[in-house]
Amino acid sequence: MIGVKNKPTASNVVGHAMLTGLCFLVVFPLYWMVVTSLRPQEDFFKVSLFPSSLTLEHYIYALSNLPLSNLFLNTAAMAMARTASQILMALFAGYAFARWEFMGKRVLFALFTFTWLVPQQVTMIPNYVLVSQLGWLNNLAGLIVPSMVSTFAIFLLFQQIKSFPQDLIDAARVDGGTSWMILWRVVVPNLRAVIASLAILQFISAWNDYFWPLLVSNRMETGVLQLGLQAFFTQEGNLWGPMMAAATLTALPIFIVYIVFQRQVIDSFVKSGLR
Amino acid sequence: MEQELPLVSNLDRVASVRAVQRTRFNLSLERVQPYLYLLPAFALVFIWVYRPLIEIIGLSFSQWNLLPTAPKVPVGWANYQQVLVLPEIQRALINTVAYTVGLLPFSLILPVIIAIFTYGIRSKMGGIYRAIIFTPMIIAPVVVTVLWRWILDPYTGVLNAGLQTMFRVRPINFMGDPALMIPTITFITGWGLVGFCTLIFSSSLAGIDRSYLEAAAIDGASYWQTVRYIMLPLLSPSILFVTLLTVLFSSQWTFVHINVLTISSLRATTSNIYTVLYDFGFRSFNIGVSSAAAVLMFIGFGAIAIVFMWLQNRFSFYDS
Repeated sequence: MIGVKNKPTASNVVGHAMLTGLCFLVVFPLYWMVVTSLRPQEDFFKVSLFPSSLTLEHYIYALSNLPLSNLFLNTAAMAMARTASQILMALFAGYAFARWEFMGKRVLFALFTFTWLVPQQVTMIPNYVLVSQLGWLNNLAGLIVPSMVSTFAIFLLFQQIKSFPQDLIDAARVDGGTSWMILWRVVVPNLRAVIASLAILQFISAWNDYFWPLLVSNRMETGVLQLGLQAFFTQEGNLWGPMMAAATLTALPIFIVYIVFQRQVIDSFVKSGLR
Repeated sequence: MEQELPLVSNLDRVASVRAVQRTRFNLSLERVQPYLYLLPAFALVFIWVYRPLIEIIGLSFSQWNLLPTAPKVPVGWANYQQVLVLPEIQRALINTVAYTVGLLPFSLILPVIIAIFTYGIRSKMGGIYRAIIFTPMIIAPVVVTVLWRWILDPYTGVLNAGLQTMFRVRPINFMGDPALMIPTITFITGWGLVGFCTLIFSSSLAGIDRSYLEAAAIDGASYWQTVRYIMLPLLSPSILFVTLLTVLFSSQWTFVHINVLTISSLRATTSNIYTVLYDFGFRSFNIGVSSAAAVLMFIGFGAIAIVFMWLQNRFSFYDS
């Protein structure tokens, strides 16, 4: 007991120092981004940690040179549609796997698991060809449909439904509930918290997705924020004020979501192990 | 009444036949139900994962330039032979190893050290630390790239300005000097990972049964012995898991930074296995080579994953 209590306190000082250092390493770049976006042009030549005054000129420049509202709407539509569909599909599939024993269950489950090992870069060419044949290049459908299922979401909801009290389902069944009614009236209401944090997680990853949009959209009107920011960067790489304004605006919605749902976001990311 | 009886019983019979039919229908519905629930997800997975996986094998044996009107010419193993000798791909493979090894300090070594040192810290600060160090994980990768490009700028960036005032060194061109580009991209990627990985290790340390540590303390174990013989072994499943993630995903994590930061003329310097696949596919439209490389990469990563899963099963006797 004594050893456990005393020795770690000595290391706790080091621990606190490490965490503080890490926090600084995280916060400073973000602070620098926001400060750059707000400081007047003449401030740029003398490097000072604090701006002499605050201005919105860079935001005005960024907004007038980048179709930000367009990109914003596209990104939001893509992220919301992907999230909604991924949750719905995962509910159905997770429910099926958790509730019934059926022929081929193990094979189907393995087929879903195996997709974890197939990187997008392996499937990108045939998928690009299919999307272009369907006429979905530069189109919201092309951004959404290929990512409508998330196997991670399926496994998460499968585990949750599996650990769900069987009595509740049995009681509903005795009352003559169909499986459809049980899903919506018993399972979903009880999984509300899990579904909410899963939705936040999937929304963030969809919002930040870069690789797939890079393939299927190459116009500003139909693109997403990540691509717009990249294009802006390639064109005006040295206009750091407007660049940082655009970057801040791109990160802002997710940052707000993060501040509001901080605990759920961290927990579900740590559980998911990145995907 | 007498005449009605048979009628009633007939009706009854009809009703009971219907009921049997209904239960039969219900039974068969009951039986297909799980498949119906699985159908949408499975159809999509088939179309967007398995169909392309099969097609890519076909494409890897043909020559094609992505134009719908152009023919796909079968060329046998020629693409695979090319993949094995193309200098671009060899370079990308070497770089991929460099990125992966370079990321391990950020995803594994530092996080394990921080998690161990901070084990047992119970203060109000805990939640704030967590929230802050996790933040880079949710910031869009393109934003991260652009942000670091600005900080590392040789002329106006704050890092070079700081280094110059403190050490009077000449401006360092982090993103233009070929020797520094891979370390810089690795650092930017690592910046996004450290906090997240630290939380993975912290959360698995938090699951450790305190009685182990107490027993060790009663036996007179020193702090370092506790770390070496109790914490590290109990962390080993997470260590294995994070190592697997780093090996499998380092190319995915570095992709954005490489693609956004590297100007065309220096692309060969920073390429990894994914950017080279992307360049062959969508810049030089050499679908055959890109597909053959994709097939080989898929097999390689699959083999690595299987080895790791085998290791995980071997070492899973540690409880946590």
